[in-house]
Parts: sequence; C-alpha cells; structure tokens
Amino acid sequence: MRIHGGVWVGVLFAWLIASGLSGVTPATADETCNSPYIAKLIKGQEDYVYVWTLGVDGVGDGSDKLVTIDVNPKSKTYGKVLGSASVGGRGEAHHMGFTDDRRFIWAGGLSEPKIYVFDIATDPAKPKLVKTIGDMADKTGYLGPHTYYALPGRMLVQALSNTRDKGGVTGMALYNNGGEFIAGYPMPTDGGGDGYGYDLAVNPKKNVLLTSSFTGYANYMRPLGDVVKDAEAMKHFGNTMVLWDLKALKPKKVFAVPGAPLEIRWSPKAGDNWAVTAAALTSKIWLIKQGGGGDWQATDVATIGDPAKIPLPVDISITRDGKGLWVNTFMDGTTRYFDLSNPAAPKQTYTKVTGKQVNMISQSWDGKRLYITSSLLANWDKAGADNEQFLRGFTWDGRELKQVFEVDFTKEQLGRAHHMKLGSKTLRAS
Amino acid sequence: MRIAAAAAVLWLAAAPALAHDPAPLPALDFEPPAPGTYTLQRIMAAPDGEVLDLAGRPQRLRQFTRDRITVLGFVYTTCVDPEGCPLALRVFDALKRAVDETPGLRRALRLVTLSFDPDHDTPAAMRGYAGDRPGDDGGVAWYFFTTRSRRALQPLLDGFGQDVRSTTERPGRRSRRELSHVLKVFLLDRAGVVREIYSSTFLHPRTVLNDIEVLRREP
Repeated sequence: MRIHGGVWVGVLFAWLIASGLSGVTPATADETCNSPYIAKLIKGQEDYVYVWTLGVDGVGDGSDKLVTIDVNPKSKTYGKVLGSASVGGRGEAHHMGFTDDRRFIWAGGLSEPKIYVFDIATDPAKPKLVKTIGDMADKTGYLGPHTYYALPGRMLVQALSNTRDKGGVTGMALYNNGGEFIAGYPMPTDGGGDGYGYDLAVNPKKNVLLTSSFTGYANYMRPLGDVVKDAEAMKHFGNTMVLWDLKALKPKKVFAVPGAPLEIRWSPKAGDNWAVTAAALTSKIWLIKQGGGGDWQATDVATIGDPAKIPLPVDISITRDGKGLWVNTFMDGTTRYFDLSNPAAPKQTYTKVTGKQVNMISQSWDGKRLYITSSLLANWDKAGADNEQFLRGFTWDGRELKQVFEVDFTKEQLGRAHHMKLGSKTLRAS
Repeated sequence: MRIAAAAAVLWLAAAPALAHDPAPLPALDFEPPAPGTYTLQRIMAAPDGEVLDLAGRPQRLRQFTRDRITVLGFVYTTCVDPEGCPLALRVFDALKRAVDETPGLRRALRLVTLSFDPDHDTPAAMRGYAGDRPGDDGGVAWYFFTTRSRRALQPLLDGFGQDVRSTTERPGRRSRRELSHVLKVFLLDRAGVVREIYSSTFLHPRTVLNDIEVLRREP
C-alpha cells in the first residue's frame, strides 16, 4: 500500500533539481471547512486573520507565535499586524483549530507533542496563550499534533507520528475542551490500513469520520533533499484514507488513495454527502462518496497540473455551495480553481501564480475574499529568494483574483506564515 | 429496557405536538446511530455548586446529577433565539412526554434546567418559566434552578464549559439585554459524568433517547 520508493525518488529528485531544492507538504483552513459542530461562522466581513507562524532562528524572538492581522478594509490598520502571542519556543508550528464555541484556538507543532490553547474571546484582536497541554505523548505515544477538530465539548486531535520510532504510524487523541485527555484512537494497521494520519473531517448526518495520511517525524523533519535521496524513507508516505464510525470512533473501511492524501473537505451544501481530498505526490483530486447501495468509495476524479512536474497540491478550500474548489500547488506557486459542479469530474477553470511558494488558502464564507500563506515546513520551504514568507489577501469576483494587501513575515520579524483562521470582533455578540 | 427505549422513540415519532409546544419539532433528517453500536466517552465530571430551587431554597447541584441519568441544559428565561433556549425547552418537553409514556424510563431519568441569568431569573421568574412542568405528575422528574449570583453561577459555567456573554442589542430605540451563548445540552450518567453534549444543530429527542439507552445498558 505504501509508495514505491524508486518511482517517487526519481520523480521527486527530478523536481528538486528543477526547483533548486526545497519544500513540500500540506495544511488546513478557512470558514467553509470548519467543523459542523462550530455553531458560529463568520458570514459577513471578517476582522482578523490569525496566522500560526513557525519561528525562525534570528527572526524576531525566534519562537512560534500566533499572529493577528487586521483584514477589515474599513479599518485604519487594514493589512497590518495587530500583534502576536509567542509560545516562547520553536516546535515546527503547523496547524490549529477552534473549539466548538469558538472561544479558543488549539494549535501545535510537528516536532513535539505539545498543544497550545489561545483565548480569542476575551479580546479577539489580542489572542492570549492560556494553557499548554503536554501529556499527549505520555497518554498515547503520539507525536506531532496536526489537525484540531471540534466535537461537542471536545477536541479530536490527529497526530502525524509517534515517539517510539518517529515513523508515520500514529493516531488520534481526544481531549475535552478543558484540556483533559479522554481517549486515544490508533489509526488502523489492518484491513489495508498503513497506520498513518494527517487530516480528519466529519459528516455527523452520515455518522462518518474521514482521515487521510502523510508521513512521520523521521521524514517531515528532515531536509526534503535528504528524504528523496533515501529510497527507504520514500517508502514511508501514506497511501490510505479511512472511513470511521463517528459515534463509535471505530474504523469501518480503508481506501487505497496513493500519494499522501492530505486535506479533507466535505461539501458544506445541505444534502451533499461527499468529500474531496488532494493527494500531494500523485497530484490527484479524489472524491469520497456513498454509492447507491450505501457503500462508500474513493475515486480518482481529476489531475492537478502536470503530475510529472510535481506541482505538489497542498491546501484546498471548498466554496460554501460545494460548487468550487481552490487548490494551491506549492512548487509552482500557483492558485487554481476547479469547477466542482459535477464532483465526479472537476474541471480546472482558472489559475494564477500567487507567490514563489504557496501553501495554505482560506476563503471567506461568501467566497469573495481569499487569503494565502507561504510556508510548508521549515526544512521543506524553498531557499534563497524563493523563500518568500507572507500572508497575501485577495479579492475574487468570479473571474479574477486581485491582490489587495500583503504582510511580509520576514520583514515584520515574525517567521514562516502557515495556517490561518478567521476572526471577528463581533462574532461573540451574534 | 431495550423495548422501553424503542417504545419511547416510536412514541416520539408518532406523537402530536406537546401542550407546551408552540409547534412540533421538525423530524430528524438523518438516522442517528443505534444503541448497541457505540459507547459514550467520559468527557468530564459534572461540577458541583449551590443552586436555588423554585422555592428559593439553596441546594447542591450534585444532588441532582447523581444516581439517575440526567439531561441538563442552561437557559435564560428572556431568551428569544429560536435556535437557543426555546429549542432546548421544546426538546426537553418532547423528551418528558416520550419518557412519561414509557414506564421503564421514567424512574431512570431526570431533567434539569438551570438559568445562567441570576440577575433576572429569580426563583419566582423560574417558577413562571417552568409552569406546571415540575409538577408531581408521576412522570419523569424535572427540576428548575437558578443561582444566587453570577459569582455562584460561574463555577458551574466553567465546569460545564458553557460560554455566555452579556451583550446589548438596540432594535430601534429600545435596548434589550441579550446573553450570547452557544446552546449546549449535557447528558450525564448515574455517576455524574458528562457523557454527551448536544449543540443546536444536532439536538433532537431521538438522538438523546438513543444515548440514554446506551447509558441504561451500562452496568
């Protein structure tokens, strides 16, 4: 089930040579992809973009931090940094997620088992670090918390690795909103499962949870150039997705989805019961859908760019009506739009180069504003002049992406801009 | 016990609108997982604290969160958000009717409604809100409480993880105080441990009854 090393070493090595060496990997975001258990969505103008930012030695305090950017065009500080909350250390900051009441953001890094909890309710413009949860490794043996997904009163945390061998076999850790550990759920290693994890997303009305798979610490913390030259290491990327019984949190079916399937997006449209993902290494969009007989299937439905050139699809963002999908491809710095009117046959209808390297993409609920960041992993980002680190804001009128502001994270002494979440000063009153 | 729970669900599906209900609850648009196919996680211990009953007498909340399965929800009596407190009350009404018709369930369950607005919701206000619901009609017990002060309330809010924030809305010239919150209803086992939490999107008597049956089957 795992990637055949020889093939991927060859392809990736060719890409590395072409690109001048550096970056690859994934991420999650935006208002249309939050947990369905999050009661409060921002359906008007968002005020803030929170950016979970990797610390860089010699840049500012060098620590991972949650940066707040003003993104309300009516504000005097539009497009400016309002502040940041540093965690006082560097742990490969990666992803974050809201609790169900949207009062807190949970965030973490891939090089450690810690989870940081930020209060965004007391003053949405100034998130404050209020708790550090440090028992995940002791309780589960998992390492590198990645996805933070709100369940009622709980957070389900998908890890990427483990402390035993730092490989990709891992699991999910369930905590209550107070940060107390409830239970661990290992990714399946039987029935075709490879035990790897990456993202998770739920469909409560179908009582299903979907998970995807990436790779472990031993790979994602190494320089990418080293990884691709190591045939054994290249065998250790995820090739599966798993359908779980949500209520029971038990695996039901393993799908073969080659090439590291990453972000998972259920269609937000009422009545739709399908999800899509993008496989990074094979550059494919996959559709996960229930057939007429009730059985769930995963189907390869589209190709992203030219897979031979390894565009490396990373983050994806689905529109609120389920009719469109934004896809960022890291290597060519391109933002692509796919028409999903027929999710079984997505069609690319728009492309624009939005940076030298692009990873995360988040959209407002109405789809008129998009935000893009630059960083994948510290050791996988591009080097030299190609190592742009930014948050860029765009407007979308259905025909053209127009950049309206940029925050240079290097110039601002912040670090590598990664995951985004949207914030509002009035949300708590709505 | 399985027959009793199934009867409650069937009754619920066929039942007319409640006397307390302004309108029947919409049908659930999905099939909830059946009891026996899952267990419920032990999410957290329910907090304890002083509450005031409808006569204004101080009570310890833990007396009403142990020994029976408990469905507990926070409300404030002036809430007008149809997806907020009124929804919780309608669901509780429907639960009570379903359980009252099912002898095997009646004595296994209690309902608790707790105000998070002690400034306004005095015991007298809660009596008006409760109407005849707490009456000794031989059905499931339903308790209504408030607290003496915000200070007395806060540990309960914190313990349940229930957010609430006071805001002021000004429709036209008249301002109206609102308590912004995410609706949450808590299912507690006999040991007073929170085993499930329901938000407005997924709060429906059928899902709650299935989960109650899961707890009833536990040793």
